[in-house]
Amino acid sequence: MTTRDVAFRLNGHSTVIHTEPHRTLLQVLRDDLGLIGAKEGCGSGDCGACTVLAEDEAICSCLLLAVEVEGKSITTIEGLAPEGELHPVQRAFVECGALQCGFCTPGMVLSTVALLKRSPSPTEPEIRDALSGNLCRCTGYDMIVKAVQQAAKEMAHG
Amino acid sequence: MGNRQAIGQRLPMIDGETKVRGEARFAADIRLPDCAVARLLKSPHAHAEILSIDTTDAEAISGVYGIITSADIPKVKGYAPADRSHGFMARGFATYVGQPVAAVAAKDEETAEEALAAIRVSYKVLPAVLDWEEAIAPGAVAVSHDPHPEEEAQDSSPAKASPNDAGHLELQGGNLEAAFADADLVYEETYRIPMLYQGYLEPHAVCAQWDRHDHVHVWACVQSPFGSRNMIMDTLGLPAGSITMHVTDVGGAFGGKDLGLFCPIAVLLARKARRAIKLVLSRAEDMAMANPSPYVHVRLKVGAKADGTLSGIEGTVHCDIGAFRTYWGPTSLSVSGLLLNKYRFGAFHLRAHDVFTNHVGFGSYRAPMALQATFAIESHLDEMARRLEIDPIAFRERNLIREGDTSATSGLTIPPHAGPEVLDALRQHPIWAEPATPSDDGLLRGRGMALGLWGSGAFPASAIAKLEKGGLIRIMIGQVDLTGSYTALAQIAADTLGVEPGCIVFGKADTSRAPHASVSGGSSTIYSMGKAVREAAGDLRDMILARGAKELDAVAGDVGLDTDGVYVLANPDRRCSLATLYDLESDLFASTYEPFVGRGASGGDRLRQSAPCFAGTLVQVAVEPDTGRVTIERVVTAQDVGKAINPMSVDGQVQGAAVQSLGAGLWEGLDHGAEGRLRNDNFLDYRMPSSADVPPIETILVEHAAGDGPFGAKGVGEPPVIPPAAAVANAVRDAVGERITALPITPESIWRATDRAMAGDMG
Repeated sequence: MTTRDVAFRLNGHSTVIHTEPHRTLLQVLRDDLGLIGAKEGCGSGDCGACTVLAEDEAICSCLLLAVEVEGKSITTIEGLAPEGELHPVQRAFVECGALQCGFCTPGMVLSTVALLKRSPSPTEPEIRDALSGNLCRCTGYDMIVKAVQQAAKEMAHG
Repeated sequence: MGNRQAIGQRLPMIDGETKVRGEARFAADIRLPDCAVARLLKSPHAHAEILSIDTTDAEAISGVYGIITSADIPKVKGYAPADRSHGFMARGFATYVGQPVAAVAAKDEETAEEALAAIRVSYKVLPAVLDWEEAIAPGAVAVSHDPHPEEEAQDSSPAKASPNDAGHLELQGGNLEAAFADADLVYEETYRIPMLYQGYLEPHAVCAQWDRHDHVHVWACVQSPFGSRNMIMDTLGLPAGSITMHVTDVGGAFGGKDLGLFCPIAVLLARKARRAIKLVLSRAEDMAMANPSPYVHVRLKVGAKADGTLSGIEGTVHCDIGAFRTYWGPTSLSVSGLLLNKYRFGAFHLRAHDVFTNHVGFGSYRAPMALQATFAIESHLDEMARRLEIDPIAFRERNLIREGDTSATSGLTIPPHAGPEVLDALRQHPIWAEPATPSDDGLLRGRGMALGLWGSGAFPASAIAKLEKGGLIRIMIGQVDLTGSYTALAQIAADTLGVEPGCIVFGKADTSRAPHASVSGGSSTIYSMGKAVREAAGDLRDMILARGAKELDAVAGDVGLDTDGVYVLANPDRRCSLATLYDLESDLFASTYEPFVGRGASGGDRLRQSAPCFAGTLVQVAVEPDTGRVTIERVVTAQDVGKAINPMSVDGQVQGAAVQSLGAGLWEGLDHGAEGRLRNDNFLDYRMPSSADVPPIETILVEHAAGDGPFGAKGVGEPPVIPPAAAVANAVRDAVGERITALPITPESIWRATDRAMAGDMG
């Protein structure tokens, strides 16, 4: 099977991958690039565990063919904060108890980052709606909502 | 001993930063050199004899490293054909749609798929047994279990009443006839709960690698590394010392990963393929092939006096357990015990039947059978309270088991519990205490309550605590951190030693390195491992004090220990840091002390397993009358936790469990359709609650120290899943005026019930 070259920006770095056209971005991230933060929870875009940012939007990487990211800027959980640091959303998740098993967490954090970019002071219904594509079976969502609110406050004050 | 500063603190998870960075390592994240992709060939039939499997063409494909079928499974002593663990691959018969028939290891997914397509299986399709009522009828087709076991399986269960009888028992006591004759109200109803999927976000995944001819490394998302290791040994006949089971992060389990179902396939396949293999189930496969909770059918008849005193209960429980039994059961017996365990019934007679059908075999699901039993009994008592015109909470209170009562099912004496406090917390909550205001938005509002009860588990556990370079204290345990328990264990260790929790690190030890530990689950982890960790930390503390005293020219009684080291009590500036003590113990040429290694252990204890944990939930709903759509507006759960070691972690358990239970109440149920093939094998159609479907979950932690858990803690992980489904059912009843007796309570079932009622009114 022929491979294609795909040039894009990954976590702030210019990257070229070589892949068969049928492979998803999720497969390339996990299997070729060793970026295992994005998870396969369902393979059909229903659970959000594979969420990454494309430009500033949260997308399901299991639904995107790798070849579709040509020229785009992709951010995974590994690239969210500079080396050794934590993004305010990550810090808020830890402080507020917004995670337990951690499997949905990378996707949930990235969906939150995308939300706060487009809506810096979301209401609780807005938060719950924005995160409704990221399933969590452990937390019941309360502490996730609180973490989003805490992060929003911290980011608003710069 | 030590101080009590960390216990009771809302400390963030000690591995929280690792997880938010995406650095946690789940089983599918393990990367092994030259690792083959494994895929499963699954039976398309619910019931079929496997006449032959021809893998020649598949094996000839370039890039296929090995294929296994049941022919590759070694004959073992103690092989039990009807056991779920032994049923990891079809042997002679396929007994549910999706059962593994063969497994392939290949260089990539595409090659594996090609190999699967090239395997030729000859099936003789048999009539499928898919309805439990048909399955237990005399003359029913029997679900086939391998008819040629190596040795006759020891069958100690009572004589079979029907071909698919998987176990039946009766619980009875008192004079039921007199009880019903005496009752002012006798109410009978039947309840149905579908098979429920645990819904862990991480699908089952296993990696296996034979590093020597006689030893294999296994990484799998299992709740019990030791238990799963033992299971692999038993099912494959592998000798002691041949398996090392590694502890990975686990992406949710809720009981569904307590066996290690797919490990034997992985181990066998890796050996045949002569390479490391990684087997990751797709979501559709996981939903069809893993181990959901059984289908439950409960008929109940309960009598009560006009003042609300329960006088008797009679009923029949049937559980469709699928094609296999597992290590616990009968499940219908569990349901029966759970129907009885909260209240003084006086007289009781329950008949419990487990039934084999051609569905996937069942497994554990968070407080197994309690959600189902509680939906039945709490719906039933709610209806009776209405008819007797008694407040539902007062009705529960009047009949609640008391300290000193004898349990009807276990014969044990009921220890102190906080059931009354839990009910009181609900009674005083605004949802209940404030009068219901009439809705002016056209929605029908209602509120409902339900009470659940579960015991804490007390399982064997052991731990090692050692001092490390720089003064770190490492706890080595062979237990999985399922629920954030490592953090609570760190708090226990920290307070026992007298140091800050930041000094404590965990060593997730594999089964070859760790001392024995039991399953993470059963509301047992803190109760059991907490005691072992406390003992190990205490043992280490004694060593540190003794040797630190020597270093400071004092006696052990005159020194204390804190984060900055050992110090003379009378003169705290005279001290010796833990880092220094470590260097003294490990100095090659001037060895002053032996290495500091503390140990602790906790035994299994059936008496402590009865430590009752009550959880009660209130729910307020709003129902659209034309569509039957339900909005959950308010939820509160009060739970008897003994002592919350980490209240943030406990709140998280209560909230997560509430949403999981509400899911069963309104949305969830596996639908195997008429052919036994799972129709809703994805997260779109098996509808688990999202953040937009549920309101905030309020929690009330009732701390009524149990006495023998570490620092008074009780098990907290399972009780909170039990009552919310029943509470939402009772709230819907309150809102629409009709009771729906089958879960999930869908808009359609509400519409049918109210439509039927309206037609009845008009008729």
